[in-house]
Amino acid sequence: MAGISLDSALHKHYVRNQRWGFLWALWVAILWGAWYVPGTALWFEKPYADIDTNSQSTVLAATAVMTWIHALSVLLFLFIWNAMLGKVKDYARTFVRFRKISKWYALASLCGGPMAIFGSYMAMGFIGPIFAAITSLFYPVVGAIIARLWYKEKITSRAALGMVIIIIGGGVIFGPELLGELDLDNPNVWLGYLGAIMAAIGWGAEGAVAARAMDVSDPDSGIQCRFTFETLFWGIIILPLFALFSDAPLLSLIMDTLSNGTAMLWIVLGSACHAYSYTAFYKSFGLIGVSRGEAIGNLHAAFAVLFVLMFTLELPEWYFFVGLLLATAGSLVMFTEPAESIAHLREQGEEEPCL
Amino acid sequence: MKLHQKGFLLVELNKVTECWDYELIDKALVEYNVKGARWVNTFRVALDELSAAGLTMITDKKLDDGSRVGIDKVLFRFRLTDFGRTRLQETGLLASTP
Repeated sequence: MAGISLDSALHKHYVRNQRWGFLWALWVAILWGAWYVPGTALWFEKPYADIDTNSQSTVLAATAVMTWIHALSVLLFLFIWNAMLGKVKDYARTFVRFRKISKWYALASLCGGPMAIFGSYMAMGFIGPIFAAITSLFYPVVGAIIARLWYKEKITSRAALGMVIIIIGGGVIFGPELLGELDLDNPNVWLGYLGAIMAAIGWGAEGAVAARAMDVSDPDSGIQCRFTFETLFWGIIILPLFALFSDAPLLSLIMDTLSNGTAMLWIVLGSACHAYSYTAFYKSFGLIGVSRGEAIGNLHAAFAVLFVLMFTLELPEWYFFVGLLLATAGSLVMFTEPAESIAHLREQGEEEPCL
Repeated sequence: MKLHQKGFLLVELNKVTECWDYELIDKALVEYNVKGARWVNTFRVALDELSAAGLTMITDKKLDDGSRVGIDKVLFRFRLTDFGRTRLQETGLLASTP
């Protein structure tokens, strides 16, 4: 019986890789969107529900405590993941090469952790959550620019167009509510803008830095390295600094969180979403590149609204559906790129024209 | 301590001019004392990622007759690129040449 031709088999091989890459990126969006439910619910549980929102230092300290416990829980889920894959030793072998390899994961965790999360909370606190959500939609642009300049990732016209359509889609989903949120008379509004810039640069840079580390290391091992560093940054540096320079009740916040079963349930659910969303995030980069992986990840805006809808049973406004349509169209524009063009993600010698 | 998996594949590829993917995978299976289709696929994905990132280049390809990874699957012959060699040096996996 005659088999398939080499060209046909090669095309199937590249299509399979492309599909896996986009499938991982879609999981990023689904799980990231799902994360918003426990992530938001946590703020309504003790000790966070009792926090005086007028005290910025207490809010930031609570955020730090919450993020640290969350990161520890994420690390546990990643350990389970890698234990199931048989990659725990590979994680250890990658982690110990700090000076040459895992330092990039440390940098990635700084960008995506303290910088982006703090930035996002600043944007939320000084301007509003809608503004924070909209500005974070621009992180794929930052990631794409860094990846392009740093290691010449190919960004085809179609990938760029898809990214723009997805960002517009996210803007349409959140945009109309933004008008009711802006208070430009607030003298601290610049802190909100600064936070938004920090979030977009932080998350965008994280993808590019992590992809640099994954040149020579495995994404499953790499994501565990990244969260190991994040738990260390919060636990050894940031929380002790809060303890030294603020009067926030850190210890009681930690103990109250750990002893509140409902708060811990939300943290465990949220960190399960976060752990596997981030795993999918890193796994998509090696197959479809940072720019496409981050852009598809932006679909989390639509999934977040859908997951909230499942709990509130309230239909979103009409513009949500317009935004959803745009975001889906942008994803399709990217997905219909020829699989062969994604088989080589970086420019090597003479290549077809790209942005 | 053994090298991490992707580092091992790159270092082994650097030892030869060119190498078929199944030859590299056979070495990795022995090095990490693992076996089975899942591990073969794990190493094949790692090799795909290295090629996509430009650390290796494909110099030849052929159809598998079923004796390696599966009938009608494509087998690739890889070579380390100059960029890949630079990355190996930058990441301490290969000593810099004077």
